[in-house]
Amino acid sequence: MTTSTFVAGKGWLYRFDPRAKILLMLLLCVWFFLPVHLVGLYCAVALIVFTGGLNTGFSHVWKIFRSILPMLLFMVLFMPFNVRTGRPLFSVGSVTIVTEEGLMQAARLAGRFIGISYVCTLLFATTIMNEVMLALRWYRLPYKAGLVVTLAFTYIPFIADSFSQIAESHRLREADREQGRKFLQRLKDLVPTLTSALVVALRSIPNLAMSLEMRGFGLQNRRSQYHNLGSYRHPFTHFLLSVIIPVVLWLLCKA
Amino acid sequence: MGPSPNGSTSFPVKFRPIMQHALRLSHLHFTYRSWKEEVCDSLFVDLNLDLQEGGKTLLLAPFNKGKTTLAKILCGVCPKYFPGTLQGTIELFERDLSTMEPWDLLGVCSYVSQNPQEQFIATSVEEELAFPLESLGLEREEMARRITRALEHWGLEDLRTSSQQELSGGERKRVLLAVQEVIQSRLWILDEAFDDLDQRWRNQLKATIQASDKTILVLASRYLEEFTGLFDQVVLLDQKAIQNPSLDELLPRFSHLCGDDLPNPLEGQVLEMSKKQKLSCMDLEAERKRMSTLLGRSFSLHVPDFHMESGELVTLVGPNGSGKSSFSRLLCGLDDPIGGVIKLDGQPLAGKELSKKVGYLFQNPDLQIFLPTVEEELSWSLKRRKDLKSEEMRARVAECADLFGLTLSDTPSTMSYPQRKALQAAVYFLLERPFYILDELDSSLTYYSALAIIARLRKRGAGLLLITHDRQFAARVAQRSYAIEDGRMASL
Repeated sequence: MTTSTFVAGKGWLYRFDPRAKILLMLLLCVWFFLPVHLVGLYCAVALIVFTGGLNTGFSHVWKIFRSILPMLLFMVLFMPFNVRTGRPLFSVGSVTIVTEEGLMQAARLAGRFIGISYVCTLLFATTIMNEVMLALRWYRLPYKAGLVVTLAFTYIPFIADSFSQIAESHRLREADREQGRKFLQRLKDLVPTLTSALVVALRSIPNLAMSLEMRGFGLQNRRSQYHNLGSYRHPFTHFLLSVIIPVVLWLLCKA
Repeated sequence: MGPSPNGSTSFPVKFRPIMQHALRLSHLHFTYRSWKEEVCDSLFVDLNLDLQEGGKTLLLAPFNKGKTTLAKILCGVCPKYFPGTLQGTIELFERDLSTMEPWDLLGVCSYVSQNPQEQFIATSVEEELAFPLESLGLEREEMARRITRALEHWGLEDLRTSSQQELSGGERKRVLLAVQEVIQSRLWILDEAFDDLDQRWRNQLKATIQASDKTILVLASRYLEEFTGLFDQVVLLDQKAIQNPSLDELLPRFSHLCGDDLPNPLEGQVLEMSKKQKLSCMDLEAERKRMSTLLGRSFSLHVPDFHMESGELVTLVGPNGSGKSSFSRLLCGLDDPIGGVIKLDGQPLAGKELSKKVGYLFQNPDLQIFLPTVEEELSWSLKRRKDLKSEEMRARVAECADLFGLTLSDTPSTMSYPQRKALQAAVYFLLERPFYILDELDSSLTYYSALAIIARLRKRGAGLLLITHDRQFAARVAQRSYAIEDGRMASL
């Protein structure tokens, strides 16, 4: 009932201390909301994506991009129409449809969305879940809260996996002499797929709870730890880098 | 033994008092609660069972007679997570189960589910094994020792860091058996544990049970040849209670309950074949890399020659993880090969066109049925055909439901497993594919139910490729066989 998001590799991000990696992820997420040049924003996003790609492989980068693409398109297409201020670029009669300000805001929003999504994904792609958990506990997060966080990040991909499997099953059920499906029919066909994925997810909740308790979750005694973070060398350097990287990016890209 | 002061497990691993009874069920009644607030039929009525400590018991029951429910009751998770009314007493090692929570049973009783996927909670094999040991608070060295030994025992060393979604069904089952081994609990409950395992691992499980000093309860819905001489006690779950006749009386009775004494529906079957077609492939190649691990090498599949004709019944056998499912995905057009082509009557086909010629019945029917009623499920694909009038469509759906023994107004999610499997087959029957792949159809079905589905799908002359681990079953149905090992397929 869980799906791993870890992509095995040997790059420097895999050797980076998970505690420092969490700090770097949080600081970069904050960085995306700082007032920076639009060009600087996209350069930073490109740098992060390139670095991530060198570590996890560019097929993984493409997979992430493809998964956020529908949401990204939705934002980019509708954002310009919601902004009325700025120099009009396209008008119908006296009604302004798109302004320069609207386009700039849409571009900034898309950059931030890609950057934040990718940075968060990169943490779980380059760190095994147990070490994410240990790092969260190092930040004094209670065990149960840490488990909830890590379970959420494995349960959501599980639902996504179920959705793909069900979509494949639909494809296998297409009739031989089926008429060409129109866009609206395709959208309509998404409903049973989504419903089935939801049913699979809901059905798996008691199983997940059952399995956790059968594995001793709930026992009052102190849990021991199979993994530890002792194998990561030079944690201080990693923490220092986690602060320096966002600061340098800020100095280079600030508006 | 009384409860420990902190309320946690009161069964220390090192100190085990000698007890006569590991498990005692007395006057057990259980009824599931209906989500429609209707009165449900009781699953167990006055069920009694005694297991001696260190004893090995086989509990046989036809499908949907409550094996899995009984296992979940014994583990303390039913009716907690699967609501119903439970009456009677259950004593586990002379302690009342109603006074314990499921986590208190860690180290006392462990369970391997029929459906391995429902038990995975961690993201890698190693973490799956470590989780219960961390709950027990064991030292890291002890955890490492147990984990390494169990991984070796179940041949999972190369899969140590793999995630569960990259494992085959048999590999998943082995992981759960390894989890059971590291916990070292006193009572093992194995629900259809031999299913999904190939012959090598079935033998391994048999040897493990033979050598174990634990109390073992195996739940099964088919009597496999591996069971012979393995158990001290064989009981039957029938008429809502445990029956304990002699083995000579029990096996024919069980066989009758499973319909094994009914005539083989394939024998003398006359096929309504309209035209003869041939599905073939040569030098088919595919590659698959496990994303979550750098251990082991990437998997490659090579099929030098495969062919199947209309009306043929071909079996594909092979060990766990040998590439059976990868080949099936290629053959039905879900994945593209990196080399070679698949041809139908000499014409190359790929992708969606191939999917419309080769039906693939997944092992898990729940991934292929998703609508609220049987009628909607059966008419889903037919509605999309413009050459079919609605009256004709309804007539076909009704005829098909009749053939597969289904009721049109039934809700698939509340139907029994064999019925859901029959519905999955009925959906494909209506699609009139010339070829079908049946992925481990016999697993979790009686031989008769599986044979009946095969006979119906084959009725119009479809060619069938049956994937199975069960040699007995393969020998019973196959006209020709292929074997696959380590990604290489060969004709037998």
